[in-house]
Amino acid sequence: MFPIREGFMISGALFTLGVIGVLARRNLLFVLMSIEVMLNAAGMAFVVAGARWRQPDGQVMFLFILAMAAAEVSVGLALVLELYHQFKTLDTDAISRMRG
Amino acid sequence: MNVTEQDFIALLPLLILAATAIAVMLGVAVRRSHALSASIAFAGLVISFGSIWIAAPELPRQVTPLLILDRYALFYIALLTVSSMVFILLAHGYFEKSDDDHDEMYILMLVATLGGAVLVSSSHFASLFLGLELLSVALYGMIAYPRRRPLPLEAGIKYLVLAAVSAAFLLFGMALVYGAFGTMRFDEIAAQLSRPGFDRWLVLPGMALIITGFGFKLALAPFHIWTPDVYEGAPAPVTAYVATVSKGAMFALLLRYFYKTGGHQQAPLFVVFSVIAIASMFAGNILALLQDNVKRILAYSSIAHLGYLLVAFQASGDLAPMAVGFYLVSYFVTTLGAFGIVAVLSDGGRDADLLDDYRGLFWRRPVVAAVFTAMLFSLAGIPVTVGFVGKFYLVAAGASAGLWSLVVILVVTSGIGLFYYLRIVVAIYSEASQAKAGPVIGAPAVAALIFLTAALVYLGLFPQPLLALIRGLTFG
Repeated sequence: MFPIREGFMISGALFTLGVIGVLARRNLLFVLMSIEVMLNAAGMAFVVAGARWRQPDGQVMFLFILAMAAAEVSVGLALVLELYHQFKTLDTDAISRMRG
Repeated sequence: MNVTEQDFIALLPLLILAATAIAVMLGVAVRRSHALSASIAFAGLVISFGSIWIAAPELPRQVTPLLILDRYALFYIALLTVSSMVFILLAHGYFEKSDDDHDEMYILMLVATLGGAVLVSSSHFASLFLGLELLSVALYGMIAYPRRRPLPLEAGIKYLVLAAVSAAFLLFGMALVYGAFGTMRFDEIAAQLSRPGFDRWLVLPGMALIITGFGFKLALAPFHIWTPDVYEGAPAPVTAYVATVSKGAMFALLLRYFYKTGGHQQAPLFVVFSVIAIASMFAGNILALLQDNVKRILAYSSIAHLGYLLVAFQASGDLAPMAVGFYLVSYFVTTLGAFGIVAVLSDGGRDADLLDDYRGLFWRRPVVAAVFTAMLFSLAGIPVTVGFVGKFYLVAAGASAGLWSLVVILVVTSGIGLFYYLRIVVAIYSEASQAKAGPVIGAPAVAALIFLTAALVYLGLFPQPLLALIRGLTFG
């Protein structure tokens, strides 16, 4: 029997770590990495859920998430490069000019 | 599962959108021409819009477990394609003013519209996710498109972080719901929810996370923090697109998902949605009072408008889908119009987004000023405009469900909203301080603004045909 509850707990912990990273980190690259952690936590939760029902759907969703995360990071890194070009820093506080 | 010929016919609007994106891409490979790319994209949207009538006899049709094409989906696909046409008309003149390559904007826009169309017709978590990502990833590019200017770049990266975080929340919530029910289809989730004895420890956190994801995408309070920045930084036509197509598709999906599952009538979620609606109405309207930037004012006003929509969404009942549908149309018309005015008054260097840019506009450009005034009145919900009729039905839907506290807050906060719309109007009609004529407005943008103004007045005076159409929309 696959430990469902534990699996969800671990992915929940990973997800929380990712959220904390997004909120606490000031460097854009680390923010992007924390988002990646959150997405992978969601992917893991899908795999756990799929294992619970003995369906392949969970792993299919994980593949979708993998592909989407790659697309997102490629656009994100392009923007980060251009930002670094203009601002010479990746500090989110220094980049943020509009009050938000 | 086999996909039959009828399925392909039902999918025509989506297939044509996808094909047009490829056609524009190939066109760019042959020859770079701003006008050509815009024309191909526009033609593709017109054909996609026309193909809705070819697809209509096949309805309702479940194409694989992922997509459902029903009257509801087709109505919103029609709304999205028409808005995208208006976007092209506005964007062509706007981007023509700066010299750079503009062709990719139309490819991104077509992909984003395709994402929106997938969203409104999705009946499964996987298609929801795919549609959402098609929409979002294309939008990052559109927002940061004038990449030599710092503000769009900042807005682009902020939107990326925001959208990626919201996608992660949504995905995690979906995983929990899937873990509890063993299915990702909306109708099967609905069936399981109506039976007692499901795993509450998975479903409630899952639903909460899904709502958080939706809240970020719809910029509802308290998830609205960066929205004004994105609206301010993005090029004006793209701001119009984000505010209408992206939010409209998302809201149509929200309505379908929660109507099918009935999840929002579960006691804890009902409270959560009510709190979000109230917070959005107050935060949007009160924070808008503090702004000097027209784009930011409109951003906060759109937060408030989504709060109003939630009132009808909460009401449930028969009146609710009609009120939401009509209000979305009115919101699309006026928001496209308002940001369209900002777009046509901008020059290549920066957007005309300060309140000072509009001081004395009436004495320089009486017609543009009159159109802008009409749009603002409609946003404020003043009679004769479509915004008034829309708000009337929202109140009616809320009242018929007995949601008096929400309805009272809707009316009170709309009253607060009047102040900041009137601030812009007063600026428009005040004495001119500068005698700058501003840029010339091209023919496509003029056509777009005439269309939007005509729709605003016509639907304000004769709402019946559209209401009858929306009343006939059914979930398949």
